[in-house]
Amino acid sequence: MEFAGLAAGIAVGLGVLGPSIGVGLATAKAAEAIGRNPDAAGTIRTTLILGGALAEGLGILSFVLGILLWTRIG
Amino acid sequence: MDALIQFLFPKGFHYPEIHVPAFTGHPLFSIGPVSYTSSHLAMLLVMAVLTVLAILATARMKGVPSGIQNFVEMVVEGLVDFIRGVGGEEAVKRVPLLGTLFLFILLSNWISVVPLLTQTSWLHKPTADYHVNFALALTVFVLYQFTGFRANGFGYVSRWINFSGFKEGVLVGVIMVIVGLIEFFSEVFRLLTLTLRLWGNMFGGEITLGVMAALLIVPGFALPFVGLELFVGLVQSLVFMLLTIMYFLFALESHDSHDESHGEGHAQGSHGHAPAHGHAPGQVAA
Repeated sequence: MEFAGLAAGIAVGLGVLGPSIGVGLATAKAAEAIGRNPDAAGTIRTTLILGGALAEGLGILSFVLGILLWTRIG
Repeated sequence: MDALIQFLFPKGFHYPEIHVPAFTGHPLFSIGPVSYTSSHLAMLLVMAVLTVLAILATARMKGVPSGIQNFVEMVVEGLVDFIRGVGGEEAVKRVPLLGTLFLFILLSNWISVVPLLTQTSWLHKPTADYHVNFALALTVFVLYQFTGFRANGFGYVSRWINFSGFKEGVLVGVIMVIVGLIEFFSEVFRLLTLTLRLWGNMFGGEITLGVMAALLIVPGFALPFVGLELFVGLVQSLVFMLLTIMYFLFALESHDSHDESHGEGHAQGSHGHAPAHGHAPGQVAA
């Protein structure tokens, strides 16, 4: 159990890497889309929030895993 | 270096004590085997606020609204317009459920940034307690499965257990069975992610507030994170509502048009009105 803290940190750090890239790409595309078609801004924003939430869910899972490991420390 | 530390911390340097919030509320009292926790108390507070607001807004209704009635009408109208824009008329029929979920989660999220409220040991932010989130997710799960069965009849099961592909050959049949299995596991996974997304965000927000209040020693420096917490709370309650709408729409979708409309959905999604197709009330009626 002595490496549990290290494992928790690595799990959260690596697990958040993917979703953060995904949310960044989605936001970039959404900004581009709003720039091209400002009338559709409302729909694009809704879709962005939904997609961001779905991508973020996996990052949150790694966060939960990190918390589970963190409770094993000490 | 030592002189600098001596200058900055005259009483010697200590790592700050970080208050880490508990995963769940702690039990206050118990009736029989059921113990009631501080989350229950906070939920009661949220419900009381919502109830009092509703009673005050509807006590003396006027044709030309003003004051609190005006505010509540504005909120409800905005909510209905938003839901109509996302899910069409099928979703508007479920505004009582969706709006209640949204308002309850929103106030539960925002209760933690009210000073001196959840800092006491009597109250625990309800959405930072995974039991509350699981209960909300379970409610949504049961309701949308029930809606799916009512709309599609027993054929609703065919999206999970589907042997119709064997008519076109063994390979197609096996693929259809595997797709059904994946669909089934994604249903169960939805329950898990709906719980953990809200809990992770809200519990993470609590930790962020605690850590920032401890690290930024000067009082008031953690205030920007309170703003962030307000924003995240709003977005997460919106997301919970949006996902609920999506799950209802997926459950209402009849399986015959499922495959074709799936391809269409991607094509239409790029034009920006993805959920509007294939949910006309006439098509849904079983």
